Amino acid sequence: MNFEESLRISVRAIRGHRLRSFLTVLGVAIGVAAVITFVTLGASLQADVLGEVAGDRTPSMAVAAGPADASPGPSGPQQAVFTERDVAEIQALDGVDAVVPSGDVPVAGLAFEGQTLGYNQLTASTPAFFDYRTTAEFSAGGPYAQGAAELVLNEPAADLFEANVSVGDQVAVVRPDGTRVNATVVGLLGASDSPFGGFAIPRVYVPTDPFYETRLESPSTGDQQRVYPTLTVVAEDFQRVGDVREGVLAYLDGESDARRLKPESYEFRAQTAEDVVDQIRSLLDTFTAFVTGIAVISLVVGSIGIANVMLVSVTERTREIGIMKAVGAQNRDVLQLFLVEAVLLGVVGALAGILLGILGAVAATRYAELPLTFPYEWAGIAVLVGLLVGVVAGLYPAWNAARTDPIDALRYE
Amino acid sequence: MSDVPDAVVLEGVSKTYRLGDQPVTALSGVSMRLQRGSYTAVMGPSGSGKSTLMNLVGCLDTPTSGRVVVDGQDVAGLSDRERTRLRGREIGFVFQTFNLMPRLTAAENVALPMVFQGVSAAERELRARQLLDRVGLAERATHRPRELSGGQRQRVAIARALANDPALLLADEPTGNLDSATGRAIMSQFADLHRAGNTVLVVTHERPIAEHADRIVHLLDGEIERVETIDEPRRPQAGDAS
Repeated sequence: MNFEESLRISVRAIRGHRLRSFLTVLGVAIGVAAVITFVTLGASLQADVLGEVAGDRTPSMAVAAGPADASPGPSGPQQAVFTERDVAEIQALDGVDAVVPSGDVPVAGLAFEGQTLGYNQLTASTPAFFDYRTTAEFSAGGPYAQGAAELVLNEPAADLFEANVSVGDQVAVVRPDGTRVNATVVGLLGASDSPFGGFAIPRVYVPTDPFYETRLESPSTGDQQRVYPTLTVVAEDFQRVGDVREGVLAYLDGESDARRLKPESYEFRAQTAEDVVDQIRSLLDTFTAFVTGIAVISLVVGSIGIANVMLVSVTERTREIGIMKAVGAQNRDVLQLFLVEAVLLGVVGALAGILLGILGAVAATRYAELPLTFPYEWAGIAVLVGLLVGVVAGLYPAWNAARTDPIDALRYE
Repeated sequence: MSDVPDAVVLEGVSKTYRLGDQPVTALSGVSMRLQRGSYTAVMGPSGSGKSTLMNLVGCLDTPTSGRVVVDGQDVAGLSDRERTRLRGREIGFVFQTFNLMPRLTAAENVALPMVFQGVSAAERELRARQLLDRVGLAERATHRPRELSGGQRQRVAIARALANDPALLLADEPTGNLDSATGRAIMSQFADLHRAGNTVLVVTHERPIAEHADRIVHLLDGEIERVETIDEPRRPQAGDAS
């Protein structure tokens, strides 16, 4: 019997049990749809986050000292160990375009237009800080100047005050000892200041001079210098990032002040943007694999549904199998017939699942406000899975049908 | 007749089943010959071995001992596949309960045996129409079995049995599920087919049905009790019954 013939007879059999076939197909469809929805959601989330993190990439790396066994990341424990001499030395290294030190300035609060707010720390850096930030865009004004009593607010920080803050206004910084320093607002940053989007953390940026007062004696020169917990080292181009990273680490582990200032158990890390991207990617991959795993379970349940329906179908059609064998059907004809039927249910389920999954993915990404990134290869995979589910789930029932003894089958009521 | 082999020849055929540990002899030492164009009836009470004989003649089963030769081929020497192929080509079954495929139309049911012999779709369709026309159901070709009366279903089954132009038409109580008038119509159909040269074997326990044949083989307890020749078999014309 040729394939076309068994397809025709199988379609007839499936249409003979509309409700049952529909429910079976639905089982597979839900499984496939769940897989596609979650995979798409994962891919979209990944694209969104990685786009934010690596959007305007600069050939830079974040240099810090942390405990040797701590997981590398931007949020690990850090100590202010890099002196101004270290900054100057690194700046002089071959291939280094810029070194931007940054650190936190502990404060008691901020005051504006008679309103005083509790606020615990400012971010101090150099004006170059804004050149190498990946996400912040100035909505008004521009960066502060080194040595001037100026500051930059992001939108969430500006929103803390009842009165409208604009460029040129005076904001008073209340130091922990209660003294006040007046600073001029020179720039306002847009809302999306965080690489993870949506989390509006208020931030206030100030120049290290005059605000940053964390100082230690430099072991090499003997004078008091500002010390910073993190340095952003920018290479001249992407090709040199690796070399610069080596150079920076070699300097730090050698003659640097930082080596003598850091605790013995801490070690230096120079984390490139690629590293962060890789870390986030692997984190998101784990997340996607987890939800996809759950979805795969529903797909397995769907295929058990097919196997069950096919077994019932074989029992129910025992007599028909007997008739077919009496009029000359070979075992393989019967096997083919039932297998085609099972595969048909699986593939139709997979196709319906793709449509359902795309709808689900569109709805889910819209709800989560993510840009839709559809992993096209999964549509192909879903059809293959449907095919496979049909074959695996249909094989035993079909084999059962094929070896039915026609004499018994014809007598079967 | 030397060129064309007999439709079916049984030589000393025995069949023993195992029922638990107990061997049960269903047939023992049965020999008979169904010549081309003959019309034979097998009669006997239940348990006489009629079904076993029918399964053996129909290539559904193989004998424990003895030879079953269908269209010149010894069934015992064939593989399962070859036996199925021989059955599909040389045996046309007509069952008491019609045994049509419920989801296929009359024409598709008639064409089904040809599907398994690899006949092309166009040829199947043409031949199915011709056969339905021959049993007087040309108008019903696209109807499903449940839309047909019992007599019509049995005629579809007869048309199906003829699909591959078999050596033997094997009918098992063909009128058992029909009222007497319809039964007569079906028997006149077999008479027509016999006149047209088909070899017919009817298995029945009803004497009036058996009397349509040229001879009646009486089975009792798995053996041939006697073979009765009918001098004037009932041969209803197609128009005899409505």
